[in-house]
Amino acid sequence: MSIDEPSLARLMAAAQRGDRAAYRALLADCRRWLTRYFARRIAPHAVDDLVQETLVSLHRKRATWDSGRAFLPWLAAIARYRWIDMLRRQKDEAELGEGDAAVAAGDEAVNARLSLERLLGLLPAGQAQAITLVKIEGASIAEASRITGQSESLVKVNIHRGLRKLAGLVESE
Amino acid sequence: MKNASIDELIEGLADDLGPVRPRRIARGWLLVGAGWLAAAVLLLRAFGMRHDVAAMPEMSMLCFWLIAAVAVAAIGSALRMGLPGVGRDYSGWRWAGLAALALPVAALFVAMGDGRAAAQAMHDDGRCLFVGLLAGLGVGGALFAWLRAGAPTSPTRAGWVIGLAAGASGATVTALHCPVDNIVHIALWHGGAVLIATLAGRLALPRWLRW
Repeated sequence: MSIDEPSLARLMAAAQRGDRAAYRALLADCRRWLTRYFARRIAPHAVDDLVQETLVSLHRKRATWDSGRAFLPWLAAIARYRWIDMLRRQKDEAELGEGDAAVAAGDEAVNARLSLERLLGLLPAGQAQAITLVKIEGASIAEASRITGQSESLVKVNIHRGLRKLAGLVESE
Repeated sequence: MKNASIDELIEGLADDLGPVRPRRIARGWLLVGAGWLAAAVLLLRAFGMRHDVAAMPEMSMLCFWLIAAVAVAAIGSALRMGLPGVGRDYSGWRWAGLAALALPVAALFVAMGDGRAAAQAMHDDGRCLFVGLLAGLGVGGALFAWLRAGAPTSPTRAGWVIGLAAGASGATVTALHCPVDNIVHIALWHGGAVLIATLAGRLALPRWLRW
């Protein structure tokens, strides 16, 4: 079963009216969509936490979706906000946990326009690279410095600046 | 929650579901309009209205509408920030703000032309600044409440824009109160309230707007 915009929008409209069955179906679909959305864009062991946090935000902010507008761009804005928030909270040099096999992204790509790659692509290359290596792939600052040729302090500065810039770009296409 | 499985979380959220009233921009405008009006009525009752409101000199009239346009643009942007979505654009307020810089720039040239008159115009007991800041609380409070309940994806930007909207709406109330028709006075004391409110919004609000 594919996850498509019209049926999500229908379920969400029903959920706003208080329809629990529709809401359960919506959350299950969003869970699958989000798992793919975050795949390979956060340390694999963090994907579940991030999906849960995003579902909680969806729940708390469910009144901010306007049924006159598309659902997925709304969900993507919330997901991007939670993603950046988690990247910021993550300690550098996070150790890869047990069972950190990469989460398969699946064949269905998320809408490229809404994707996290697209968001990272808005950053200068050095910042995007530092964030990807350290915050997403779990490299240490020293390793990232070797790979990128940036000094260790530049890696840190690039991560800091890049995350700050990302926070202002959440809703950019 | 960390250890609970996502299935349990979904069950919990579904059990917690109650109907919500979808937030609409139009209702936000009503809320903000009410805040604007209430602040204006209260302050103009307390401090008085200039006697020639209907027949203001052209220059004061122009300043009033210019600042009102900034307020409306900033309010529109701030309201939209509460309902997020990838692909939304909130930059409208920047252009209005840029256009309103005509005011301080013009004041600067006037002041350079006649320094002594300008120095005189700069004298003020601070009442205009005070009225402007106080009057801005109506719109500022309404927007803050709107965005706390909304989902602004950039709390920093939201802080800036709430501050600007509050300051500019407050300055329109000052314009109805203050009888001084001097561009240096208006730029400094009415515009000063906009500047202070914008900075205050940036400094004080973002931490309360995170979600």
